[in-house]
Amino acid sequence: MTVEGRAARAAQQAEDRELMRRYHELGDTSAREKLIARHLPLVRSLARRYAGRGEQLEDIEQVGAIGLIKAIDRFDLEREVSIATYATPNVVGEIKRHFRDKGWAIRVPRSLQELNAKMSGAIDELTAQLGHSPSVAEIAKSLGTTNEEVLEAMEVGTAYTALSLDAGPGGDDDGGEPMDTIGTEDAEFDRSEDRATLGPALDHLPEREREILRMRFEEGLPQTQIAERVGLSQMHVSRLIRRSLAAMRAELE
Amino acid sequence: MTDRVEIEAPLDSAYQGVIRLIVGGIAEQAAFGFEAMDDLQLAIERLLAETGGDGRVQISFEVDDGHVRTRIGPLREQRLADALQQSDGETGTLSLRRILSTVVDSYGVEEAEDGQIVIRMEKLGTPLS
Repeated sequence: MTVEGRAARAAQQAEDRELMRRYHELGDTSAREKLIARHLPLVRSLARRYAGRGEQLEDIEQVGAIGLIKAIDRFDLEREVSIATYATPNVVGEIKRHFRDKGWAIRVPRSLQELNAKMSGAIDELTAQLGHSPSVAEIAKSLGTTNEEVLEAMEVGTAYTALSLDAGPGGDDDGGEPMDTIGTEDAEFDRSEDRATLGPALDHLPEREREILRMRFEEGLPQTQIAERVGLSQMHVSRLIRRSLAAMRAELE
Repeated sequence: MTDRVEIEAPLDSAYQGVIRLIVGGIAEQAAFGFEAMDDLQLAIERLLAETGGDGRVQISFEVDDGHVRTRIGPLREQRLADALQQSDGETGTLSLRRILSTVVDSYGVEEAEDGQIVIRMEKLGTPLS
């Protein structure tokens, strides 16, 4: 590395530490956001190593970003290490744990994984063609398979890990612990006091996921409309909702 | 005619996929569309996630064409009741209550023995015609 390169790196690390100090000592959440943004390229770089294993790269990046957030939240200002050095094992650990927890899904026969890949497009096409969300039987018929195989293939695509944000600072592979509504409610629900909502955990989600949750649970939009708005398949929207809620819940534990 | 299905499973997260698969099969029997099925799966999944993962759970389904009634429990009351009784809060927050209000058509709590509770939910499938 050149002298200039070393100087630039030292300056970046000094800026990182200042942002970390502002976050941990002053509670400056904008500093935290900046730290996350500054180190997302690291997450993307690490995530690419795990591409091609049956997961979409953007999903791996999302999991890795959780590891980054853990590292930032748990960083000890007394440590004489760079944030990138500290965060790397957290990010890698989170990604590995994700794949490990998905072991059941990854071991399913290739034919089911292929069926899952076809199904996403089939659901969107059938929804447009039929004018309603297709049943399992309709999906099976269009793909020339059985209802049972469709259900199994759906599960392949929806397996996820509940992303805990409680990983220890080591962050090694095994050490990471990690509107208007349409319904009606019983009076029973009004008996007790409120408790904290998942709200604060929303802040840790990527903007796209926050927007999808807002559309689903504040606007009350169906998945099909959300999928159109954000340009994803309905199945992908479903998976992002599920994963986001699990991540938010894990963070509160 | 109403069909009744009962299962008992560990609350351990390792069984989430198994329960999802069963709920998917139940929804398929009720002729739910994909989205209604997904909603029912999500409702049950989020409820079970609030139980902490210890012990076992009984889930029963009453299945009609286009209609599934689900009962989950008995469960320890305090942990889940707290989560269920959150207020919707201000815009930008998300409670279990809001999630359930969105994804099922109705839900409620029944008191069971020993201070435990049973959660019941009703979900109507989107008409397929």
